[in-house]
Amino acid sequence: MRAKAVIGTPPRTVTIHVDGRPVSVVEGVSLAAALVGDRTWTFRYNPVSEEPRGPFCGMGVCLECEVTVDGRPGVRACLTPVRPGMRVETEEERA
Amino acid sequence: MTVHERDVVIVGGGPAGLAAAHRLAAAGLSVTVVDEQAELGGQYFRRPAPEVARVWGDHRPEGGRLVGAVRAAGVECRTGHLVWGVGDDGRTLLVCDPAERPVRLRGRYLIIATGAHERPFPFPGWQLPGVTTPGFAQHLAAADHTPIGERVVLAGSGPFLLPVACSLLDLGVTVAGIAEAGRPYRPSTRALGTVRHPARLRELAGYAARLARARVPLWQNTVVVRADGGDRITSVTLAAATAPTRPVRTVQVDALCVGYGFRPQTDLARMLGCAVRTDPATGDATPELDDSGRSSRDDVYVIGEAAGIGGAPVAEVRGLAAALDILGREGHEPRAGEVRGLAAAGRRLAHFKRLTDALYPAPAELARLLPSALPDAATLCRCEAVSAGEVRGIARTAGRDVNAAKAWTRAGMGPCQGRECGFAVTAVTRVSPADGLPAGVFPSRLPVRPVPVATLLEMAGEGEPA
Amino acid sequence: MRTADVVIVGAGVLGASAASRLARDGHRVVVLERGAPGREGSGTTAGNLHVQAVHTRRPGQAVPLDSARFAPLQRAASDLWETVEDDLGASVELRRSGGFTVAETPEQVQELYDKQAWENAAGIKTEILGGDAARDALPQLGPTVAAATWCPHDGYANPLKVTPAYLDDAVRHGAEVVPFAPVTAIAREGGSWRVRAGAREIETPVVIDVAGPWLHKIAALTGVALDVAPVAIQMHATVRCSSGLPHLVQHIGEGLSVKQVNAGNLLVGGGWPARRLNLDGRSDAGVDSMVGNLALAVRILPFVRRLRLLRAWAGPLAATPDEMPVIGEVPGRPGFLVAGGTYAFTFAPLWAETLRCLVAGAEPPVDVSDLGPDRLMHNLPEKKR
Repeated sequence: MRAKAVIGTPPRTVTIHVDGRPVSVVEGVSLAAALVGDRTWTFRYNPVSEEPRGPFCGMGVCLECEVTVDGRPGVRACLTPVRPGMRVETEEERA
Repeated sequence: MTVHERDVVIVGGGPAGLAAAHRLAAAGLSVTVVDEQAELGGQYFRRPAPEVARVWGDHRPEGGRLVGAVRAAGVECRTGHLVWGVGDDGRTLLVCDPAERPVRLRGRYLIIATGAHERPFPFPGWQLPGVTTPGFAQHLAAADHTPIGERVVLAGSGPFLLPVACSLLDLGVTVAGIAEAGRPYRPSTRALGTVRHPARLRELAGYAARLARARVPLWQNTVVVRADGGDRITSVTLAAATAPTRPVRTVQVDALCVGYGFRPQTDLARMLGCAVRTDPATGDATPELDDSGRSSRDDVYVIGEAAGIGGAPVAEVRGLAAALDILGREGHEPRAGEVRGLAAAGRRLAHFKRLTDALYPAPAELARLLPSALPDAATLCRCEAVSAGEVRGIARTAGRDVNAAKAWTRAGMGPCQGRECGFAVTAVTRVSPADGLPAGVFPSRLPVRPVPVATLLEMAGEGEPA
Repeated sequence: MRTADVVIVGAGVLGASAASRLARDGHRVVVLERGAPGREGSGTTAGNLHVQAVHTRRPGQAVPLDSARFAPLQRAASDLWETVEDDLGASVELRRSGGFTVAETPEQVQELYDKQAWENAAGIKTEILGGDAARDALPQLGPTVAAATWCPHDGYANPLKVTPAYLDDAVRHGAEVVPFAPVTAIAREGGSWRVRAGAREIETPVVIDVAGPWLHKIAALTGVALDVAPVAIQMHATVRCSSGLPHLVQHIGEGLSVKQVNAGNLLVGGGWPARRLNLDGRSDAGVDSMVGNLALAVRILPFVRRLRLLRAWAGPLAATPDEMPVIGEVPGRPGFLVAGGTYAFTFAPLWAETLRCLVAGAEPPVDVSDLGPDRLMHNLPEKKR
């Protein structure tokens, strides 16, 4: 697969809020891609080991990419397209 | 709550499910495709975000055309819907819609096209952020135009590593190397191009040539023995597969993608009571099916990767075969030459699959090889943070039974229900893959994925038995 | 042919604990298990330690159990659980965090008072709180709770730790545990028993049938028909939750038990029937029971509504027609002992000690003469008394 030439104008972006911080992302991409593109790799902490965890399988199986979206916990970022204004909370580090 | 009754309900909107849906709807049957992703296509045809497709193009335009044809044929497409279980009648599919409301679906025929998931094998540090499956890197690249990292190593085994590496190169990522556990490209990747082979093997040779031009190192007989880092991986250490205790090189990376091929996702088929057997070559539970994908249950078909790993073209053939069988039972005449053409395509693809399978180490061989590289301190089950040593410690008392090992250590008991660690827990628990013990697979359990209690309550509120 | 002093059929919690006690007494013990150890009823139970008198009817249960007779047994078992961890030198996540049994209707409140009389008689300390006082003590309780009995001794032990810990102890004391060895024949020859499992044949004076749901099938190998039926019930686990539920919560009138295990998951059970009992594989949990059990849990503990269900599973147990335990030697079958019935997990340390005493010809810690298998032998084809 070769690099594709840019077909049209630059991509439209939307703004989401990650832990209260506005982040500009390409419209319609997966939330996992939006976070990884923003260099956010720690989505949550393992409840047993308390180690940082990030997305692993990218297809809804591992549940490592669960974040809270608009107040709803346990949303798999890899299966969720971004929506403008979406409020995303990654898990805070455990004390 | 209403039960939605259809002629055919298809779970999974990948190549197999779409092919079946299109053919059945074209013949006039009422068809619903249900898929937990936001858009149809499955993993292989994973649809790029429209903005990504507009600006950077569509990596698999044929997938977009197939999805379009399915919608145009009048198939009801329930995307964002999670099928989490089967009702007590044994045939009603219990579904959670995007707003987490319960939906019940019933078909005179059920087609299970739930695909596959990757087969990881643990190593110290595999739980670090930045360590992913190759599939995730591929999705990020193709569907979201997002590089997984700046400097990446791909590892594991199987042909899939090559197209993923090419996708990363397309995004300008430095692919620091590909570590393949087997020796499929001996003496070199050129070998792929010189044998007489079908077109699909030539495609693989094309990827190999592209990687050679980009001077991507291809390390054969090589496995990952550890990853290091803090909040994200910073380096990966590799060793010869045949001498995993002696590291040969450490590579600085910011992402590492490891996968040893794919495992059929058969939870739903098993929950429906379809008979399965353990494939001796892979250790995976594989449904017992006839040539058209019909299972031990007359009204349930299993197609695509869920029926056994074969790749997208095989999945489409299986989807069509199931569709034709159903149409035959419904009294429809097949199109001229359709059945014969399908059979011929199936034979060609089976031949190709035998060729490729022979190139790479079989999972049973990996199950023998890889545990020796896994130190006791390594995390075996990522969900429950269970170490390899914990499982080894109880394996004997637990009668070397993988389910007893799970119960006693919690390995495989977490939210992923053992899908990520199951292969490795089995490999570590057993003496050898051929030790004559019962099948080393975790049982299929309700719900297939965690489901909100509120959704269940809404089912109760309707007063109708599930 | 090899010999043993005791052959135990079944490596569940009763087989494991009995093996540990008997091996410590110096007996040569062999445990034969049809599958992997601790995988059936003992691996699927919720792990509650029921000290206060329990809800007397599982959903669908025909005959209520006799709480007055149960209470002294619960008390004796409770005392023995106190020393299990020290005794085995292993953590079984034993927790005596106390438990509430809630009532919603006036009739159910009356039941709390009725059962307190039995608890008092057995020396089990309990306290009955009104609805508001109960909610003060456990704020998660919902508005329909009219009263609740508090018992500080109710608790939990992790069943997935208890059986392995007992098995390890038994092996340390010389017992042999043989997994994947289904027993196919038990014959009386020359004053002893010959137990066959596959190619293995063992001569022994004592056989202990603690095969749980297979109890009657093993007994049948000696020509005895015991009126014990396997049933499958189901359990549910939510994802881990941060809000803590420190106590066991049960219902006096409906099938409900809820607690939080060490890992943080809530376990919701209460004896709801599984969709299907399958003694040749895994029994299947059903959706109707799942929905019913969780709706009840949410009524009593409304915060459960906000959680997600992670997993449901089913497990078999052996039920007697009178719902009371069975333990003792089978009449006409010298040296052939059975033990089982519901609440076997709570009673495990007690039944292990009782079996040890019965084998040694000593006085058991509690009188079990009325709990013997003779009462289950109504349909015995060839009654030898």
